[in-house]
Amino acid sequence: MFSTRRAVLALPAPIAAASVLGACSGESDPNALTIVTFASPWTEGLKDLVEDYEAAEGVRVRIETYGNEQLNATYRTRLNARSTDFDLMVFQTQDVLRDYSRNLWLADLTERVESDAAWDWEDFQAQARDAVSLDGRVFGVPVMTERHIMYYRSDLLDAAGLDVPQTFTELREAVAALHDPANGVHGIALRGARVPLVTQFSSFLYGFGGDFQDGDGNAAVDTPEAIEAYRFYGDLLHDFGPPGATNMGWVEASAIFAQGGAAFYLDADSQAYTFLDETASAVVDTVAYARFPAGPAGSHPYNIVPAAVGVNAFSEKQDQAWAFLKWATGAENCIRLLAEETAPSARQSSWDDPAAAAAYPAGLVEIIRDVDGDYVGHDRPRLEQVARAREYVGGPAVTAIEGGDVEAAAKDANEDFQTLLDDES
Amino acid sequence: MTYRRTFTDRVDANLKWILTAPAVAFVALLIAFPIGYTLFLSVTDSRGAVTRPYEFIGFGNYAHWLADTERFWPAVGRTAYFTGLALLLELVLGLAIALLLRRTFRGQGLVRVFILLPLVATPVAVGMMWLLVFEPSIGFANTALEALGLPAQGWLADKDTALNTLVFIDVWQWTPMVVLILLAGLGTLPEEPDEAARVDGANAWQRFRHITLPLLAPVITAAAMLRVIDAFKTFDIIYATKGRGGGSNYEAETLNILAYGEAFEYSQYGRASALLMLFFVLIVVVLAALAILRKKGDRS
Amino acid sequence: MTALPRTRRPVKAGSVARAAGILLVVGAFLAPLLWMAAASLKSNLEIIDPDRMFAFTPTFDNYRNVFETQAFGPFIVNSFLVGAGATLVALVIGVPAAYGIARYRIRNATAFVLLARVIPGVSLLIPWYFLFSQIQLVGTYTVLVLTHVFVTMPLVVAIMTGFFEGIPEELEEAARVDGTSRVGAFARVVLPLSVPGVATATILSFIFSWNNFLFALVLSDQDTRTLPVAIANFTSYASVDWGGLMAASVVITIPVMVIALVAQRYVVSGLTAGATKG
Repeated sequence: MFSTRRAVLALPAPIAAASVLGACSGESDPNALTIVTFASPWTEGLKDLVEDYEAAEGVRVRIETYGNEQLNATYRTRLNARSTDFDLMVFQTQDVLRDYSRNLWLADLTERVESDAAWDWEDFQAQARDAVSLDGRVFGVPVMTERHIMYYRSDLLDAAGLDVPQTFTELREAVAALHDPANGVHGIALRGARVPLVTQFSSFLYGFGGDFQDGDGNAAVDTPEAIEAYRFYGDLLHDFGPPGATNMGWVEASAIFAQGGAAFYLDADSQAYTFLDETASAVVDTVAYARFPAGPAGSHPYNIVPAAVGVNAFSEKQDQAWAFLKWATGAENCIRLLAEETAPSARQSSWDDPAAAAAYPAGLVEIIRDVDGDYVGHDRPRLEQVARAREYVGGPAVTAIEGGDVEAAAKDANEDFQTLLDDES
Repeated sequence: MTYRRTFTDRVDANLKWILTAPAVAFVALLIAFPIGYTLFLSVTDSRGAVTRPYEFIGFGNYAHWLADTERFWPAVGRTAYFTGLALLLELVLGLAIALLLRRTFRGQGLVRVFILLPLVATPVAVGMMWLLVFEPSIGFANTALEALGLPAQGWLADKDTALNTLVFIDVWQWTPMVVLILLAGLGTLPEEPDEAARVDGANAWQRFRHITLPLLAPVITAAAMLRVIDAFKTFDIIYATKGRGGGSNYEAETLNILAYGEAFEYSQYGRASALLMLFFVLIVVVLAALAILRKKGDRS
Repeated sequence: MTALPRTRRPVKAGSVARAAGILLVVGAFLAPLLWMAAASLKSNLEIIDPDRMFAFTPTFDNYRNVFETQAFGPFIVNSFLVGAGATLVALVIGVPAAYGIARYRIRNATAFVLLARVIPGVSLLIPWYFLFSQIQLVGTYTVLVLTHVFVTMPLVVAIMTGFFEGIPEELEEAARVDGTSRVGAFARVVLPLSVPGVATATILSFIFSWNNFLFALVLSDQDTRTLPVAIANFTSYASVDWGGLMAASVVITIPVMVIALVAQRYVVSGLTAGATKG
């Protein structure tokens, strides 16, 4: 006949076909769990763990992986709709713990973690346990830890006859000495973008004796120590950093170091693998690690938990989910993941095991084992609206990098930060 | 036979509705809930999770934005600048290229496919590619400039050039779409008016301005409207290259980036919803202006 | 004709200029993508090293990674199914609507349909997720097709309205004088003339569906995941696999290139058909 009628009749067909093809998500199957995560060494290890678990217990665990930014968008959308699509969720502890727990999105695991002495909750490093707890209640199991360290080019240091810097002053001297832009080597590469830099700036802040908040939880980024720290950080980049520093997150900054474009790079130890990968790094043989240098108030780098696993409060299979989580984060499996995937475990026993730590880059293990009171358990402001707070407290650093009035910027930032804190209480 | 004729007649009579109803109904159904929900949230102070207790605060959120000279109004300005400049360049270049490719030539199918490619490459990947290419120290753009003896630029990293660089990327990516639409439009233009004018002695420019352009107007408007809407909402390339907040000095923060941050990073749903409604109104106003311009053009 | 030698020279210069112009345009659009394709054959180190722009040893490791480790095969199929479905539905609903709008001059309908594109995706995410999860459609192809149609159908309507408005009504009048119904006139006269428009709308519609990221991010699950979401697999927690990213991008581009090549034939053939008519 004519096309319109045929077209109208054809309309339901594709939709019907699509429904038939519609994937069955199998939510109600008690022997299937779903864990949502982002790409990381731990997730790599998870893939093996999941196979073993299925063989042993007959429970199939599906892994859904997302990029960092996408993960939060996914959680926000799904959990706002009380999704039961997934049971376990890997989350970025410092960014969302308060937020998610107050939203009642994370199941309270306090009783579960404390009930099994054999599983040993105390084996997890103190800072790691603190990182996933709020007001005495536990909302997740930490699965990775991360510290601020100093990467440097041993070849350049040796050629110039310099010792490894151990204080901020020595660092600046070494950076200045090795700064050679004419030959493509900048003294130092650091994150300079407003929000990303906050976490790396934190260790410098602590080294000068400051913190984002004081003992009462009030904003403290306009103290003399903080201003000194901002100036120090900003001047390093302003004087000896690569061009375009204020647009750099870890992606760009680490690329510069990997490409041989900087003599020093201070950032998270999780990036070590990039520098040791022959297909991704020109500094495989020349990269070396050292402990974060000491400021006037000592060396206080951060030691944080970037990822923890929680149970979706809306999940209908919380007991099974916890059973898997407990098994996956047991001492044995943590050691296994550290050895096979170099996933930096949060358990002290994993690091004490000599065989497991053998796979980790030499030089890093000593730094990590050296976990004592000098490390700080947070690398960003501690409040619910972390994202906004980071924008405020990162501002003075950007001003410093651009050579502006740091004091004024710090005063403004402190006001804004304090308003935010007041808003929340 | 008689039955068929009656059906046909009935279809003919109601054709206007039968043709357009499915499209309109489809959009209405899918849009109703989101718009209603956004409107509702915009008068509350909902934050954190939509399940958390909230209060109605009337126009509080709207007042906040309209009085915000730090983030909102600059974002409006940047959005207007970005959209205006990108649209202008894309239409002009698009038209020029379409005219260039108009006449049949060998390999034209292949050329059109090649031109399509910027559109096809995933925005996220394209964004990261440009990030590398424009990186001041290790990027190809500055290497090429230096090879030509020109000074290195900050491109995306420099707060003064970031937005313009983004316009460049947008133009690179979307001009092909304009070209494609205009090319197809040019192809369906009747030839007599043009021939008649040529016989009368009009030169190429006159023929273009008085014959081709007016005949092409509906298609140009279609392309313009589509591009205006999309350019206003540009997100992927900005987010992939400048990250949160459009950069350390908010130099590339457009309204959509601001709204995304407010909703997904600050989880201020009430505020974000109000912003989105304002954004919506703004686009509608611009579209209405375009439609009025077009009506005036029709009359003349 | 004695005029021939004289008119020849200007034409030749014109077509040389044209050819040069075309090459320039194609080059400008293709160059960055060629960079991407070259990068897909390099190691990560070579990609971030500007000195190795042209001097590198090609390797297929990135592609191996894309197909084996990341198992992109199923994602390509998903994207294709959703794209084809969304384009088909968008055409079926949109082309008649555009015709109605053009002939009956219901401009408001275009405005209303375009509204679908005006709404920022951010507003749609949470309400839609909520809605679709209530009716258990999350993770199905249906929901992806539906949400993509939302994006592509206005595109079809906008483009085709412009086209139909450009086709003079006299042609249809002439057919109806012969006794054909309005619908028949549409099918026999207008539709063939608008083939280039339909082909163009098809290509663009498919491309928009192919690239759509936001809706697929939230509404697909691991089985129905589409390519743009999968591409984020190459950005991990502490490293970016540039080579993998570029290889994945190349892989993503190829199916669409094929479809575009096929569809372009209709555009071109429609043009030549249009030239002989009227």
